[in-house]
Amino acid sequence: MTRKPFLLQNPSVLVVLGLLAAFTLAVTLLSQAYGTGLIPTSTVKILGKTLCLALAAVAMDLVWGYVGILSLGQMAFFALGGYMIGQWLMYARTETIVAASLANNPIPPTPLELQQAVANQIFGVVGSADLPLVWGLAHSLTAQLILVVAVPGLLALLFGWLAFRSRVNGVYLSILTQAMTLALALWLFQNDSGFRGNNGLSGLQNIPGLDAVGQATLSVWFLWASAAALGLGYLLAAWLVSGKFGSVIRAIRDDETRVRFLGYPVEGFKLVVFVLAAMITAIAGALYYPQAGIINPAELAPIASIYLAVWVAIGGRGRLYGAVIGAVVVSLLSSWFTGGRAPDLALPGYVVKWVDWWQVALGLSFVLVTLFAPKGISGLFDWLAGILPPRRHGRDLGPDLGALQEQEAKA
Amino acid sequence: MIHLPRPVIGLALALMLALPGAPALANPQLQAVITENIDQIRKPSRRTVAPLVAQIAATGPEGAALLAAWADRRLGVTEDGRLLIVTGDDATDAATGAAVAGADPDMLRPNSGVRGVIESALVVSQLSDPEPRIRAAALDAIARSGTAEHLQALRDAPADPDAALQARKDRLQTLLTIQHDSDSAARVAAIEALSGDVSLDFRAALNPLLATRVMAATEPPADANIAREITPGSDALSRDAAYDLLKANGTAQPRLTLAAQRDALAANIVDGRAGGVPVADLADPAARDRAYEALEAAGTVTPAATEAEAQAAIDAHRYFEVYAEADAAVTDAARAAQTRAQVRLAAMKGIDLGLDALSLASIYFLAAIGLAVTFGVMRVINMAHGEFIMMGAYTGYVVQTLIAGRTLSLLVALPLAFAVTFLAGVVLYRLVIRHLAHRPLETLLATFGVSIALQQIAKNVFGTQARPLTSPAWLEGAITVNDVISISTIRVAIFVLALLFLGLFLFIMKRTRLGLEVRAVTQNPGMAASMGINPDRIAMMTFGLGSGIAGIAGVAIGLFAKVTSELGQDYIVQSFMTVVVGGVGTIWGTLAGAGLIGGFSKVVESLNPGNTLAAQTFMILFIIIFIQFRPRGIIPQKGRAAEA
Amino acid sequence: MRSLLEVDGISVSFDGFRAINNLSFNIGEAELRAVIGPNGAGKTTFMDIVTGKTRPDEGRVLWGEPSKSLLKMNEAQIARAGVGRKFQRPTVFEDQTVAANLTMALKANRNPFAVLGWRPSRGSAVRVAELAAEVGLADQLDRKSGELSHGQKQWLEIGMLLAQEPRLLLVDEPAAGMTLAEREQTTTLLRRLAETRAVVVVEHDMDFVRRLDCKVTVLHQGSVLAEGSLDHVTRNPDVIEVYLGR
Repeated sequence: MTRKPFLLQNPSVLVVLGLLAAFTLAVTLLSQAYGTGLIPTSTVKILGKTLCLALAAVAMDLVWGYVGILSLGQMAFFALGGYMIGQWLMYARTETIVAASLANNPIPPTPLELQQAVANQIFGVVGSADLPLVWGLAHSLTAQLILVVAVPGLLALLFGWLAFRSRVNGVYLSILTQAMTLALALWLFQNDSGFRGNNGLSGLQNIPGLDAVGQATLSVWFLWASAAALGLGYLLAAWLVSGKFGSVIRAIRDDETRVRFLGYPVEGFKLVVFVLAAMITAIAGALYYPQAGIINPAELAPIASIYLAVWVAIGGRGRLYGAVIGAVVVSLLSSWFTGGRAPDLALPGYVVKWVDWWQVALGLSFVLVTLFAPKGISGLFDWLAGILPPRRHGRDLGPDLGALQEQEAKA
Repeated sequence: MIHLPRPVIGLALALMLALPGAPALANPQLQAVITENIDQIRKPSRRTVAPLVAQIAATGPEGAALLAAWADRRLGVTEDGRLLIVTGDDATDAATGAAVAGADPDMLRPNSGVRGVIESALVVSQLSDPEPRIRAAALDAIARSGTAEHLQALRDAPADPDAALQARKDRLQTLLTIQHDSDSAARVAAIEALSGDVSLDFRAALNPLLATRVMAATEPPADANIAREITPGSDALSRDAAYDLLKANGTAQPRLTLAAQRDALAANIVDGRAGGVPVADLADPAARDRAYEALEAAGTVTPAATEAEAQAAIDAHRYFEVYAEADAAVTDAARAAQTRAQVRLAAMKGIDLGLDALSLASIYFLAAIGLAVTFGVMRVINMAHGEFIMMGAYTGYVVQTLIAGRTLSLLVALPLAFAVTFLAGVVLYRLVIRHLAHRPLETLLATFGVSIALQQIAKNVFGTQARPLTSPAWLEGAITVNDVISISTIRVAIFVLALLFLGLFLFIMKRTRLGLEVRAVTQNPGMAASMGINPDRIAMMTFGLGSGIAGIAGVAIGLFAKVTSELGQDYIVQSFMTVVVGGVGTIWGTLAGAGLIGGFSKVVESLNPGNTLAAQTFMILFIIIFIQFRPRGIIPQKGRAAEA
Repeated sequence: MRSLLEVDGISVSFDGFRAINNLSFNIGEAELRAVIGPNGAGKTTFMDIVTGKTRPDEGRVLWGEPSKSLLKMNEAQIARAGVGRKFQRPTVFEDQTVAANLTMALKANRNPFAVLGWRPSRGSAVRVAELAAEVGLADQLDRKSGELSHGQKQWLEIGMLLAQEPRLLLVDEPAAGMTLAEREQTTTLLRRLAETRAVVVVEHDMDFVRRLDCKVTVLHQGSVLAEGSLDHVTRNPDVIEVYLGR
């Protein structure tokens, strides 16, 4: 076995990174802030958010496509990342505003007064005037940036350790991850959880200290940051799945028991990938919500995580670019169709309004993809490249239910 | 102060006047009283009128009629000092009962205090009324607001011929004794007689006896009935509250709040300095204190208690909870009785909670049973199960719009919902699930696609607002055992429905060919197939059956919850949990799971009332932890089949 | 002879059925042993217990020198301690190449982070090539193992077992589905392996067992019925009764 540089072994990574760079450059040159202004700021934000979703999808593909854990809780990590960065954004910005208004008082405020005024401003809406304990570090950007990865990472570690240790897998595990997300959402929905209940955190698009920079410029900066995060995340994921580690996790996906008899601590591998994916997802969320401007517990609805799985499946799971393609294509199509900009489809006797029927079409197309194109959109690449799956219908690749079947295995 | 509702007085009066052609019986005694007291009748005073009212009441039915009219402001006085009872356009002489025509009496308008005294006296006379309804109404009135006079009246009243009324009278008498008797021993005896009773009236009678207030003093007050001494800073009395008490006593100065300090400083800025401290430095609390002390020393601001002074003042006093009721023997007895009542109350609340949990468990059971069946037979999670529940509920709604009779429409809706969702299940199986055999995760996602499509279709067809599914009248209302334990009829009905389905299900599984084949396929599909059972057909039938039950559950849920396109989503996660916790493949597992989850969520809810969100959060956390210890559920599937 | 694995009085029952009943078993450092017995004798359950897949209700399983209890370890730990198992049905990772399969099985640190940092070296490549050559797959290294024939998969799995360098090899019905030539080859391989390690072969096929020419343990209804050379046990009246029926 000869050693080649990592990127040369995986030319698809180069292609993806190149396309990503080209895309970012193109959007920048067409943006209002740095270019011709052909692309309005709102669209730049949508594109930036889409890149974040693509990063979340890459992480989803890691846990689902490579380790075989259909986690329906990824959006919990995504939203937690958003909440963590949102705490700082909201606190720092409110502090600036409150400090400005208190400056009109004859006496400068004490730190305590300032904090109380900030707390009153933020939590007045849930009928509280005290700063909850969980906001203790909200004044520090560094601390909250650490929390962006630490909190979801710890949650994933704890949950994963409990679940994997007791060998919960397959459908059970999926349902359990969904339950975890639901529990977190319900907790956040409470007014006294310290995260403003169903109001969530808002005004996140205003970055403290950058008031002078307009939204047009900020949106491009966030696009760059999102593209960089996606690029790095993709590289990391590609590196993870390329070597022996990738070999082992794919083996776990196909036949967990056999990997155990090879002496690999299966739980440890699952945990590493699960936690890492949670952290990547959280970073994606931390970049997403400042572009969205608001985050509330509805973002954690179990359905959101399932959508993530849908994107990965439609894109083609088990390969990273499939996840990116799925997330970009489906989320952009969704926002186009549900945004009311898609023309109505006039059938004889009935006019299909896409705002109403897009969900139906998405749901059904998802069924069709699962049934007839298990490799998703990226299966097209195989077809173009002339790679056809072996025409053999056979039994499962592994003894566990749900393992790949032979006709699914890549040729 | 008693206030009789008008109808009662009117009824009493009507009965008294309802003697047609009664001879104008003069009541010379009443006449005498009237003549003697006419001035007081014209201008009664609440404080002095009581003996007069008693005198009038003692003259018999005519006196009572007079009092009733008086309280009702239908009594007039003529210039020659006769009293007339005015009814519409007619008037009768109060003393003689003779009709008086063409009189123009001066109507009396007693104030509410006087009317209270009159009505009170009326109740007493009504207690010995020959008509049971009147006596019952009088007891009602006393029960609403009894006084010491009523207690005497109850004691004086003759024994009631009606046993039930007598029992009520005795109970009322006991309750009033507790509150109003002057003899301490009698009160204690009365409390002990009812001790352990949990009914609201007894607890209401005890509450005023046990009402306390907190007082601050340096020594225990000698004349007060002290409940206990409390220390400031405990749950019963915060230190701030203790200080407020001292302030109210006038023994302590108001404390200097940070806001007051700030305002005082702001008001005394001279040349950019407050109390000699530059304003820019006042962002520091210590600097503010220095500045304020300087101002205090200069006499510019009023001295205020500093924190240390306030704390010292608090510690210099003792704090006592003092009963409003002076008699210690009574309060002790009342305390003991209340404790006993609370213990029994807690037990009854436990029973009530159990009933609630049972009904919730029935709902989860109905919602989950279909899911459990399909999961058990095919190891497939049907994410569209919730939408089948929703379809059932909408079927019920549509049937209700077509059939007016609610009972009939319900009877039609149940089988129809079964049929509709059975078909939907079979179609889903044939078109999707069959092609994804042995790929449970793909099935999960594909059925999820179906789920979002169905949800949106429901939204497009029925709109987003909730549709009502009204239950028949006989399902409304509640079965009430006592003040604490009650359960709504509809929940009982759902419990019965769940039992029916449990029975039906057991019958199908244990006594029919289909059940045998289903069990065979569940345990070993390969072997079943080689025995000539067509697993595909069995899977289809069970899928249809499971979906059909979901439809029926939908109708049941729709009867008490709003029917929306998201109805299914609200139940699907709980249904999953029920299946997972219970264990796959046995109906008893589902039952146990539903019982556990229903019970647990109700218990958490009762520990944390009004916060169902927290209850659900805890429930899910509990399940995640539960799975750690019993990964295969409460009742796991056994044998080698489970190992696969 | 020092024993490598000492199984002492284990019992296990499933749902009331006693699959293993007070079974004791010993094997030395370098020994070939055949375990035979009719269906349901508890052969597979016995291997499940040794490899940690099933926990016995009672009894103890001791391993190595100084002896450690295998009952406190999970499957992966037992495998790392040096127990290799070959399943009846070939289980290789069909989605991955022959080289990847062998690389995964190579004796190395199994910790996730160590695996993450593992890079192919000249030594590892040579070892993989050697192993492939030994099991006759030298020219198949870059093929997906899913495309191999049934026999080739068997060989690949044996190659993976060798790569693990186990001290005890549990082999479940290796001859099943093999051609006569392949059986010869397998017999030779197993006997060669047993020179340096302990090998337990579970087998139905008496001919194959005879070819192995080793000590035989006969299981029946979850316990040891007889032990000794094949000729010895086949003369045992109990064994005859069990195999030929009453």
